[in-house]
Amino acid sequence: MKTIKVLPLAIMGVVVGIVISVLLVITRTLPVQASAESSDIDNLYIFFLGFSGIIFGIVVLFLLVSVYRFRARPNDEREGDNLHGITWLEVVWTVIPFVIVVLCAIGGLMVLRSGDVEAQARTSGQQIHVLGYQFGWKYGYLNQDINLKDQQTLVLPVNEPVIFELESQDVIHSFWVPAWRMQMNATPGQVNKVSTTPTKIGTYDIVCAYLCGVGHTGMNTSLPGSIIPKVRVVSKSDFDAWITQQKAEAAKAAESATAQTTTGSAG
Amino acid sequence: MTAVLKPTLARCLWVAPAFAALAILITIAARSLVGMTPVLQESTLLTVAYIAGGIGFIVGIGGFDYWFTWMRGGELDPNDHSQHGAHSWGDYFKFNTDHKVIGIQYIVFTFIMFLVGGMFAEIFRSELANPGQQVVTNQQYNGLISQHGVIMIFVFMVPVFAGIGNYVIPLMIGAADMAFPRLNAVSFWLLPVAAFTLLSSFMFGSFDGGWTGYPTLSEQSGYGMTLYQLGVQLAGASSIATAVNFLVTIIAMRAPGMTLFRMPLLVWANLATSALVVAATPFIAGAQFMAMFDREMGTHFFTVAGNGDTLVYQHIFWFYSHPAVYIMILPGFGIISEVIATHARKPVFGYRAVAFSSAGIAILGFAVWAHHMFASGMEPWLRVPIMLSTLLIAIPTGIKIFSWLGTMWGGVLRMTTANLFAIGFIFTFVIGGLSGVMLAVVPFDVSITNSYFIVAHFHYVLFGGSIMTIYAGFYHWYPKVTGRMYNEVLGRWHFWITFVAMNLTFFPMHYQGLEGMPRRVADYAPQFAWSNMLISISAFVLGASTLIFVYNMIHSARHGKKAGANPWGGLTLEWMLSSPPPIFNFPATPRVIGGPYRYGEEGAKHAIVPEVEPATVETTV
Repeated sequence: MKTIKVLPLAIMGVVVGIVISVLLVITRTLPVQASAESSDIDNLYIFFLGFSGIIFGIVVLFLLVSVYRFRARPNDEREGDNLHGITWLEVVWTVIPFVIVVLCAIGGLMVLRSGDVEAQARTSGQQIHVLGYQFGWKYGYLNQDINLKDQQTLVLPVNEPVIFELESQDVIHSFWVPAWRMQMNATPGQVNKVSTTPTKIGTYDIVCAYLCGVGHTGMNTSLPGSIIPKVRVVSKSDFDAWITQQKAEAAKAAESATAQTTTGSAG
Repeated sequence: MTAVLKPTLARCLWVAPAFAALAILITIAARSLVGMTPVLQESTLLTVAYIAGGIGFIVGIGGFDYWFTWMRGGELDPNDHSQHGAHSWGDYFKFNTDHKVIGIQYIVFTFIMFLVGGMFAEIFRSELANPGQQVVTNQQYNGLISQHGVIMIFVFMVPVFAGIGNYVIPLMIGAADMAFPRLNAVSFWLLPVAAFTLLSSFMFGSFDGGWTGYPTLSEQSGYGMTLYQLGVQLAGASSIATAVNFLVTIIAMRAPGMTLFRMPLLVWANLATSALVVAATPFIAGAQFMAMFDREMGTHFFTVAGNGDTLVYQHIFWFYSHPAVYIMILPGFGIISEVIATHARKPVFGYRAVAFSSAGIAILGFAVWAHHMFASGMEPWLRVPIMLSTLLIAIPTGIKIFSWLGTMWGGVLRMTTANLFAIGFIFTFVIGGLSGVMLAVVPFDVSITNSYFIVAHFHYVLFGGSIMTIYAGFYHWYPKVTGRMYNEVLGRWHFWITFVAMNLTFFPMHYQGLEGMPRRVADYAPQFAWSNMLISISAFVLGASTLIFVYNMIHSARHGKKAGANPWGGLTLEWMLSSPPPIFNFPATPRVIGGPYRYGEEGAKHAIVPEVEPATVETTV
């Protein structure tokens, strides 16, 4: 019987793998890239698909060729080769995965580092307090001169770093904006920080990603008829206008509250 | 009349309620004596009733009969083997000390639990088939997904490997039984108690915090959550006791000549797994005790209102639950090594590397727990070392995969159903492994964690990994256990339907997760409608394929053709015995004279089993 050379088969495996990788990259279903970090994270994912496809291609090709080539015929009493191992080959298939995971680690660390805009946000960007509750979110705009909190909507200026300080008043929620490739839990009893830089004007879905009780399903702005507002990313001037308006409303509300208290005590 | 006094299930029917009633009475008396109000605190009484009832069940089935007799100075015959071995059907429903009987008890019981857990999945898949909510309420939905996860993990996947190991390991190492046969039986009988505790929580609205049961949501839940905490502890206790048993058995009871490097790889895998279980499982038991005390006794380990810390629960929980992933896959790796070597008629390629990679996974497995918590708000610096250790664990896993490919290459592959499942396993497990490498990388993980991408990943690892290996093992040792061959045609149908439906069920979930569909939701955005319909249909087909397997197993046990001692031509010790093996396994202690996989070597043997015990030389006094 004709022997099959291993090396050409491995090369064929790589080719098959590249085809699989390309298919996976083409069919990927990532949401729109709406933050500074998203393209880096997506490129990381494309790199993963690249080597994953190749490894998968090699493994599957060897499996299929083995099954085809080394299949026992009916009443086949032959035994396989008495081969207990080939040390150099075992070294190769230990070293190659090691190199791949080192590349993954380097890629991951680079993206992690570049995404770390927390410090920047503290001085120049928006600082937003996010309070998770069953079942919704409340926002506080921390770097406005007057106290602007308990807002139902999240409005942010485009291209400005933002740091979220997440808290929860009841159970664990998770604040996930898929278009920003950003997620962080809101945990009761502690403040979790996460930051991003929105780069596209538009409205984006906010999804609660951690099971938080009976209303968890509904804590997702992408559901039809959701009453939770999506995040709105607007231009700087629109943002300033919105903030001014909110401040005016907050002042009016405070005034009427004081007025009510006065009338109340007078009566 | 005598049936209710002898150690049987009938005796359990009154002993367990009697214990529960007694515990309730004592609690009521104690509460009224110290003046606690209300005296009839429902959750407290239920909890003591469940704990005492569980102990009562073990007493009823006869778990402590031997020890009680010894304690009251009764007569004990050390050579009394009346509880050993199955002589009739009924013996499988009794307290039995034979590892082969216990193995079958484990396998049948856990497989029934697999069907129950699968049924829950089919119910919530029918909810998810269409957008909107039609079948179940949110509350029921959360209960079903939580039960699905807990039943599958704690009373199917972890113990089914204990069952396979129970049956096969003592045979493989040439032992007469496990080291502690009574403890072994108690470990098994704890499982029905655990399963009852978990499933009966449906009477109290089920537990609904996912299989993870994180506080503070768990503090809000109904009484079912306490039963989750109790059930997990019971299953954990069973698992720890079995692991201790395996450790002692494997270390101390190997036949003469069986050095560590002559052990079959399944034995290696079980050794590594048992070490993991013994070291890791107490953590989840501890976490569940503390969480239960928070709920039932007013302590403040994890309650934020009492300055407790919810993040600590997550750390302790995952310190067990990540090693648990390896507890659920390492024995499967062992099965695959046995199945592929035997059906490819070729020695395992790189035996030592495969053996050491099990040990490597077991050790590294302790250093990766926090990769479940990248978005939890833990210390940010901790993410980096955990990412690196998680990536490293891919290497020993890769070594195994490549070694199996090397084993098949140049072999003579007999395409039995067992081998088909082993080959299918490599295909699906590689997918789960590769998505695992992706998820190790922090920035990518936090962009999609808690989404359907995660659901896809761990179902590829647990269904595409563990369950495929379990099926491979079932088919491989079926002739040994029953003495008859299964039907290959039905087996092949089972494989192909399971394999195709499994991939159609779980692969599209990757895409859903990337696109922004979170897990544990009963409804979704319209763009996910068609993919969810596809997944639900595939899930129903997947469920139906199990019925082929069940029919094949039951029907062939009666009508299959006789298997003979060694239908596969295996070299390891279990194949040197009749099928099914004699009650006391080996007629005489076997001697191991070589490695377990000496295929392709003319006339090579792994061991010699003497026909009778050589007469021991009387030493003169």
